Amino acid sequence: MKPVIRRTRASSPVVMILVLGFLGISLLHLLLTIATSQSVYELSDLKKEKRELETTSQIIAEQVLSLSSNQNLYSTASRLGMVVNTNPVFLRLNDQAILGEPRPASGSSIQSTNLVANSVMIVESTQNNQETVPASLSEPTLIPSESPVSASIIPVSPTR
Amino acid sequence: MSQSGTSGASRRLRILLTVATVLIVVFIIRLVDFQIVRAEAISELSYENRAVSRTIEAVRGDILDAKGNVLATSVYRYDINAAPANVKPVQRVVDGVSQLTSVESIANDLAVILQEDISVLLPKLTGTSNYVNLKKRVDADTHQRILDLEIPWIFSDAHQNRLYPNGAVAGNLIGFVDVDGLALAGIERQYNSCLAGVDGKESFEKGVDGVRIPSTAVVTQEVQHGRDVVLTIDSGLQYQAQQVLAGEVEKLNADWAAAVVIEVKTGRIVLAAEAPSVDPNDPGKSPELERGARVFQFAYEPGSTMKAITAATAIDTGFATVNTQVTAPSSLKVFDHVINDSFAHEPQRWTLSGVLRFSSNVGTIKIAENIPAETRHAYMEAFGFGAPSGVGFEGETSGVLNPYQEWDGVTNFTTMFGQALSVSPVQMTSAYQTIANEGVRLSPSLIAGCQDDMGNLEATSPPSQTQVVSAATANDVMHMLEKVVEQGGIGKATAVSGYRSAGKTGTAEIKEGSGYGDYYAASFFGMAPVDNPQYAMGVIIYKPKRVWTNSMAAAAGYQKILSNVLLANRVQPSTGVSADLSNEW
Repeated sequence: MKPVIRRTRASSPVVMILVLGFLGISLLHLLLTIATSQSVYELSDLKKEKRELETTSQIIAEQVLSLSSNQNLYSTASRLGMVVNTNPVFLRLNDQAILGEPRPASGSSIQSTNLVANSVMIVESTQNNQETVPASLSEPTLIPSESPVSASIIPVSPTR
Repeated sequence: MSQSGTSGASRRLRILLTVATVLIVVFIIRLVDFQIVRAEAISELSYENRAVSRTIEAVRGDILDAKGNVLATSVYRYDINAAPANVKPVQRVVDGVSQLTSVESIANDLAVILQEDISVLLPKLTGTSNYVNLKKRVDADTHQRILDLEIPWIFSDAHQNRLYPNGAVAGNLIGFVDVDGLALAGIERQYNSCLAGVDGKESFEKGVDGVRIPSTAVVTQEVQHGRDVVLTIDSGLQYQAQQVLAGEVEKLNADWAAAVVIEVKTGRIVLAAEAPSVDPNDPGKSPELERGARVFQFAYEPGSTMKAITAATAIDTGFATVNTQVTAPSSLKVFDHVINDSFAHEPQRWTLSGVLRFSSNVGTIKIAENIPAETRHAYMEAFGFGAPSGVGFEGETSGVLNPYQEWDGVTNFTTMFGQALSVSPVQMTSAYQTIANEGVRLSPSLIAGCQDDMGNLEATSPPSQTQVVSAATANDVMHMLEKVVEQGGIGKATAVSGYRSAGKTGTAEIKEGSGYGDYYAASFFGMAPVDNPQYAMGVIIYKPKRVWTNSMAAAAGYQKILSNVLLANRVQPSTGVSADLSNEW
């Protein structure tokens, strides 16, 4: 009878440990599942925030591109009264020679208004009003060149 | 009682056990049905409900100038849509107080942001449909303002769109794409294989609330974003040139104007400007002829700028030197035609240098009349006429250079001063680059290469080199052309203070019907600085109608553009004086 009693006493803690272990693992699994579920929503929120930041970044990038366009720089320079210096002067270092003749820059060298079209040169709103281009434009634009005049009908030649 | 009670309990227990057994059997059967018999189908149905397959759109590459400035880039635009079936007032919290915002009020907010008429917008929000488009392709700022309204029945679709932040600057070269992103013209189309990427694909699973389940994403095809095309042009100089040309077109009431500048020692095109030019953001606003690149695609009879090529041929073949003496009357009868100079004069005793200085047609004939037509034709071909320039722009013209066997007696002479043949602006600039580069022609280039996002540049092939005339011949011609700028009435107007420059006028007649019309193509081609040639350039003003002399039309534009190019590149001012050449004998 003694050995049987010993076996029963010895197996009880093992069973307890197994049961507790199982419960512990189950609890851990439950906690991990809850944490993962929570993270999924956090991840979703972060992705939404990332999209919003990307949109903000695009808005700012478009504003920077618009501000740094040649037309915008030109207009700003004109407003500030800046003109091109058409008389550069260089100091040649090897013999200290002065190259060029210094003269005050003249304001007449600059066109008063911007003449190069830019339909997106706007800062507050960069809306692009691009219209649908006719399908006929899917082929290269062919610019009709002049054909030389036949020699037999060449008149007096004022070319110079 | 006790026995009957026990018997009843036993019977109830048996019934209970029987029912439980039946239920268990039913459950087992259903379990086997779900888990084994129909397991695959159910799993598939479940996956279909959870699984989402998505295309990862490749972003089209940018087009950059030589300094990395963005000329074309990709941005997102948004279609703003609504689901009329779900339209209803929205509960909003304003200053901590929850209140109901009416549909009319929301529609009013939308109308203001979308810049649409409320009377157009409001009817769109009624009905039973789940989709109606309110506005297409709004920018990111507008889209964000719509999102900030937090309207549950408003949704949007993002589309990739093309933005050209510099507008018409180099618009003639860049080309454009349509609203669906299809490249329609210019570099956009020609280098589409570099710019366009390859879309990727991914699949993932989502929960009932639409949230993506972690670790289920599988990329089935990696996305490959487009690469950038890097041009050789300087967009700042291109802009300044377009400004100058637009001003000249307006001032001279011309049809159009064009300018080309090529780096003498590399063949790289620094600018290829036109006015008017297409704004790729809105190509529909430009007439069809203004959407291309005349610099490469248009050929015209060049006129007197060809005399420099004839002079180079005469010197290189030994038929003339800079001091060769001719007596040139103001007109000359050849076969049954009379060739005139542009101004009446007594017979002049001019050297070759004088013939160029005074741009004498008769003098040019007298200098080159003994050169075999075959030889002259071969030199013209070597200078690049009669074939595409090598720049490789789509639709580039070869111009017209008929076989010399087809030249009749008069044509043999008129080709000496640029009639009975046609060239493109880039071809003529390339010929002057040859003269400036000691006789070595470099095929012009517009594209530096295709660059990935790590900055690795897959460069285009180096330019082909051809020794067309000897260095001595080229320098002789350049020194004679310097006299045109130094002494010529028109040439002086092209001079840039501090620099020695050389060039030649051209006032070419324009074909109209079977003969020539009343208008001209005024041009000036040249190079600078003569003491260390850096740039070859040309300017054409087509059909100026408000000029006191057609020859003068191109001079002012040429001077301004050359000045900008020399100053922007900090070219050292010239030293020394021009060669001692005599125009008369």
